[in-house]
Amino acid sequence: MTIQPTGVIHDIGYRHYEGERLGRGHVVAALTRHSLRGVFGLGRTAKAKIMPFLLAMIMLLPAVVSIAIMALVKQQGLQYHDYATIMQPVLAIFLAAQAPYLVAPDLRFQVLPLYLSRPVTVLDYLGAKLAAMTSAMFLVLATPLTLLFIGELLVDLPGPPHTTDYVASMVSAAVLAVLLASLGLALASFTPRRGLGVASVIAFYLFASTVSLVFYGAFESMGQDDTAKWAMLINPFFLVDAVQVSLFGTPPSNGTGYPPGPWACLIVIGVIAAALSGLVLRYRKATSS
Amino acid sequence: MNAVVADITYRAMLGRKRIWLLVLLPVALIGMAALLRLIGGWDEHTAVILMRTFSISTMLPLLGLIAGTGVIGPEIEDGTIMHLLAKPISRPVIVLTKFMVAASLVAAFGAVSTFVAGYIMVRDESGVAYGFALGSLAGGVAYAAVFLLLGVLTRHAVTIGIIYALVWEGLVGGYVPGARTLSIQQWATSIADQISSSAFFSTDVKLSFAVPALIVVTIGSVLWAGQRLRSLSLTGEE
Repeated sequence: MTIQPTGVIHDIGYRHYEGERLGRGHVVAALTRHSLRGVFGLGRTAKAKIMPFLLAMIMLLPAVVSIAIMALVKQQGLQYHDYATIMQPVLAIFLAAQAPYLVAPDLRFQVLPLYLSRPVTVLDYLGAKLAAMTSAMFLVLATPLTLLFIGELLVDLPGPPHTTDYVASMVSAAVLAVLLASLGLALASFTPRRGLGVASVIAFYLFASTVSLVFYGAFESMGQDDTAKWAMLINPFFLVDAVQVSLFGTPPSNGTGYPPGPWACLIVIGVIAAALSGLVLRYRKATSS
Repeated sequence: MNAVVADITYRAMLGRKRIWLLVLLPVALIGMAALLRLIGGWDEHTAVILMRTFSISTMLPLLGLIAGTGVIGPEIEDGTIMHLLAKPISRPVIVLTKFMVAASLVAAFGAVSTFVAGYIMVRDESGVAYGFALGSLAGGVAYAAVFLLLGVLTRHAVTIGIIYALVWEGLVGGYVPGARTLSIQQWATSIADQISSSAFFSTDVKLSFAVPALIVVTIGSVLWAGQRLRSLSLTGEE
């Protein structure tokens, strides 16, 4: 009597991937592209598109109005170097609304191990998220600036075009995008809940801007105008404006000026470094547990 | 009111990371008041600036937002509200209980810290501390009710709440005087102005409008949220 085999492995047609392995760089690029699309709600539901596009439209409004003013009265409307500081609440809301989307769901559903089982490292993952948030912030701010510049060239105002002013504002838009993205992601990554992430990012912005306002008012009423200018740098938007002033010599958009010297640049670098190390430390902990 | 629901909500609010946001802002307010007193900037004018810009127009909306949406938002987001709704408790009672929890948190963290900070800055000079404490109490309760309603209405409650507080009350209210009559922080300031005799601030909104408006908005929001919870749908984005 022969013993019948009791266990059989059936061939149900799974096939191995035979194509070319594109490697780590390609994975990072794909993750960056996917995240950037997600920030604007592309590839997500219609409801997810409302907020980012609404805020991007609000960012465009002053540029459109300004071009109309230029065409009608032949005078420059909104200055390039003022754009970011005037629109700062909108930029802050955009950051607060979208930064948690990039980090919170992956933490909440604990899918980081799935990413890390691929050739992606934690730093690659963070780099992709950071690149996506930075380019989104840059796009939101640079599009109206570029639109304004094109408008100015088309309207052909008397006198030379404000090319230096435009370039200066684009460079500081890039600096602002890096600063805001690293701060926003660092703050949002501390909670897996999206609502709480939104609240903490906006709380940070409101806190920084009012603290700077209160101390500015206090120092000014005490007659210490030089100290008061330092208080301005607590607000990240004025901090980047101070960088713009020290690099390109544009007029300060807060009306009073900033402390002289390269301090603003050093503070920006310091804040970005602190935010990035906070982010890396947070993910060390998240991936080890 | 339902004691068990209140107990669970308190534990959810105070036992998580959410409490850090609730604690940090009041601590920062008191810390700033102490710092300003130390460096000698403690005149009444600075106190009024601190109370108005930090306490009423920054801390109060944020506390209202965190407490108001926090008592119900996470439960709706992860679907556990179903367990609560399946119990034989009337939905308006659930909303009322959650509103009381949120309002008590805003009162405890917002109004008390405002009073302490005001008292550190100027003692009881011209009633600034008392005025702003009462103003922030009334405003905070109204914020809690409105943001609780938003939390029931939409999953983007926090973002919409921020847009209301920042863009409508902050940006639009700064340029358009008419927008100020429909702003909770202006109503709160109006109450503060009534009690305090300080010459450093005045309001555009009359008390005879502000007080009824606060009451109507608070009660209306709680009632609407209660009605809305009766037909809550959990299907939605993400």
